[in-house]
Amino acid sequence: MFTRNFRNICRRYSQSVTFRTTETSPVQQNDNQVGLFYTIEKDVCKKLFGHGGLPKSYMKQTKTFTETTLMIRQPALDVIDCIKASDLNKPAIRYVLYGETGTGKSLTLAHLIHYAHDAGFLIVHVPWVSEWLRRVPRHKEMSNSQTREGFVDLPLDAAAWLLHFKTQNQTLLKCGDLKISKDYVWSKREQTSAGAPLAELVEQGISRVKYACDVIDALVYEIKLLSNNKQCKTFVAVDGYNCFFYPMTRLNTPTKKKVKPEEVTLTTTFMELTKNDWTNGVIVLSVDQIAVPEDHQESYLPKYLLYKKGFEHLDPFVPVEVGRYSEKEFLSCASYYRDRLWLRGPEDLETELKLASACNPYKFMELCAPL
Amino acid sequence: MSNVIKFSFKHIIPLSRCSYVRTKSTCLLNIKGYSSKAATTDSDVFDNFTDWETLSKTKKISKAMRAYLERAKEHDEFMKKQQFEFSIGKRHLANMMGEDPETFTQKDVDRAIEYLFPSGIYDPAARPLMKPPEEVFPARKAAEFDEAGRPHHFLFYTGKPNFFKLLYDAAENIQFLYKFEDKVIRKKETPYPNQNLDLSNTVWFTKDQLEQHLVEKLTDLEYENFKLVMERLISLPYSYQFKDFIEKFRKTLTSQKFALEIPKPNFDEDGRAYVTTYECLRKKARGDVTIRSPGTGKIIINGKDITYFEDTQSREQVIFPLIFTGMQNKVDVECNIEGGGPSGQSGAIRWGIAWGLRSFVDKNMLEAMQVAGLLTRDHRRRERKKPGQPGARKKPTWKRR
Repeated sequence: MFTRNFRNICRRYSQSVTFRTTETSPVQQNDNQVGLFYTIEKDVCKKLFGHGGLPKSYMKQTKTFTETTLMIRQPALDVIDCIKASDLNKPAIRYVLYGETGTGKSLTLAHLIHYAHDAGFLIVHVPWVSEWLRRVPRHKEMSNSQTREGFVDLPLDAAAWLLHFKTQNQTLLKCGDLKISKDYVWSKREQTSAGAPLAELVEQGISRVKYACDVIDALVYEIKLLSNNKQCKTFVAVDGYNCFFYPMTRLNTPTKKKVKPEEVTLTTTFMELTKNDWTNGVIVLSVDQIAVPEDHQESYLPKYLLYKKGFEHLDPFVPVEVGRYSEKEFLSCASYYRDRLWLRGPEDLETELKLASACNPYKFMELCAPL
Repeated sequence: MSNVIKFSFKHIIPLSRCSYVRTKSTCLLNIKGYSSKAATTDSDVFDNFTDWETLSKTKKISKAMRAYLERAKEHDEFMKKQQFEFSIGKRHLANMMGEDPETFTQKDVDRAIEYLFPSGIYDPAARPLMKPPEEVFPARKAAEFDEAGRPHHFLFYTGKPNFFKLLYDAAENIQFLYKFEDKVIRKKETPYPNQNLDLSNTVWFTKDQLEQHLVEKLTDLEYENFKLVMERLISLPYSYQFKDFIEKFRKTLTSQKFALEIPKPNFDEDGRAYVTTYECLRKKARGDVTIRSPGTGKIIINGKDITYFEDTQSREQVIFPLIFTGMQNKVDVECNIEGGGPSGQSGAIRWGIAWGLRSFVDKNMLEAMQVAGLLTRDHRRRERKKPGQPGARKKPTWKRR
């Protein structure tokens, strides 16, 4: 027993140099650490991604490995460098992550969110847009909007998102510097008065689910205002952004009418947020083939996925391609899997896996699972 | 011995046919005159003095002989009729094909039949054919006994005289070789080192072939015994002395074709060697594969990389020959493939890559590839659906009523 533990420790220790880095804060990471893995601390991970944000298959793997590790890759570092170098007083710059399926767009986004958290941004993160517009569970709560004619609310989804927002930004919300600028009257008895902290607005949305969509609307307005006034800097991250522009959603109103994405209140709210008419903010979006149905998955390029409407809405933006593993990244990942005993067998297994997976990270993960 | 008998009887029949009607005895005389060795009595001897004993014996023709004669006659007539029909048929066929009937050979017959009766039946043996009757109808054993019912062969009562004769001869040869070896040792002579039996490109007859050769049915045990004895014979140092005997029971192997016709690679303008394999077929997929020799392991399939195939199995199929030969980082592969589905296409590419890699690997690897089945074409096609059942083989669910 002892010898085995000792051997394990020796193995971990001897290999730890080659594929791991001890630099856990993305703020400090640089180009020397490309292809190395870093570990996100458990509490930070729970705070940032406790309500979604990491892909399901990856979550399963982290559970198996009993740690959440991300590979430091070039696209994420590029975006971080850009954010550091850019002037936040100018209108918000929009970065669009794109790439083939399974190359790690969502994990790059997660890496960037970790950076934003460490750099003290207010994080507005939508884990997966299709969750709202395309996923129809048995009891999907839908109602016609009270405040806006002809619009549809998704109160439960909105409330869940507010909870997510609250957990992600709990430190910033707790200190209470962020105040709201005007009175919001929800009903005869409920209202949120000007000067109340932002947390109260969020609480209102969570406790009174009926008003959650309107609360998000107000929240976005307030966040833009606060950022413009330099009271906070904001990091907006939306995964699967192109879903907002696919002509149809899978939602039906109670009268069996098909709903278009622009008729959903949440869509208009986040469209408002991704405009570049505000300052002191960073907007990172990802466009993904699997966010839209199969009839529109021919190419992974943003212009195709965003349609003309979305492209014009976002223009100008900075496209960032997330590619497949390079040689170095692949070997580092393979040795990480070997360290986790996820991959066993002879040394020349890697060459075959590399050819069979074509260096696609997700495919590689899939292939290693039964080995 | 048996051959001689057979020959003689064939000629008897037409003679006996005319004389048979007159007297029984003339027929017998005729038989006596033509059967060569077994019948020792000559006609003049028969005339000169009356050997009552022989007479009574010969008059009583054995039942077995009579039955055999009848059978032989019947068979001969049948064969003659077949022969006649075949020659007429051949002439008709030649006329049909507009060729000269005199110079119409068997090869032409086969071609004509294939042309007139095109057949897609998978088993060649089941296709229409027109062969000389000697080939179509199996050879019959000639009479193994004389008219008195006495067998010619000393091993007749074993039931399988030819086979046991073979074993007997082999054993005798072995004994001879033992004695010869003793003699050589006693004389202290050195054996010639270069007189060896080269049996590398021949194999023993299979059971069927041996049966055909001996005109006798064998059991598995008997065939094993045959092999055992013959192996013993060839294991002896001076077995070259019985080379003829041994080679009578061996068949030459067909030489492996692939080793001979490996194409030499061409060179393109960059000075890289390349080999293109056309007609890579599997199921319904058709395509061609080009392999360029100094390369980096790039795989291009219809303009895309290996992600052209989405499932792992197809990808494994494509990369298997490269990994097997260890050439995954040394060559570039370019394929154009169309038709069929992913598994057919990937199978075709696999064969194409392996076939092209022959020009770039050494001989040992080539043999290993052959053994691994990389160079074997897969001729299987989709099996048709049968009427009355839901699939090719699938039957409807069984229901009592």
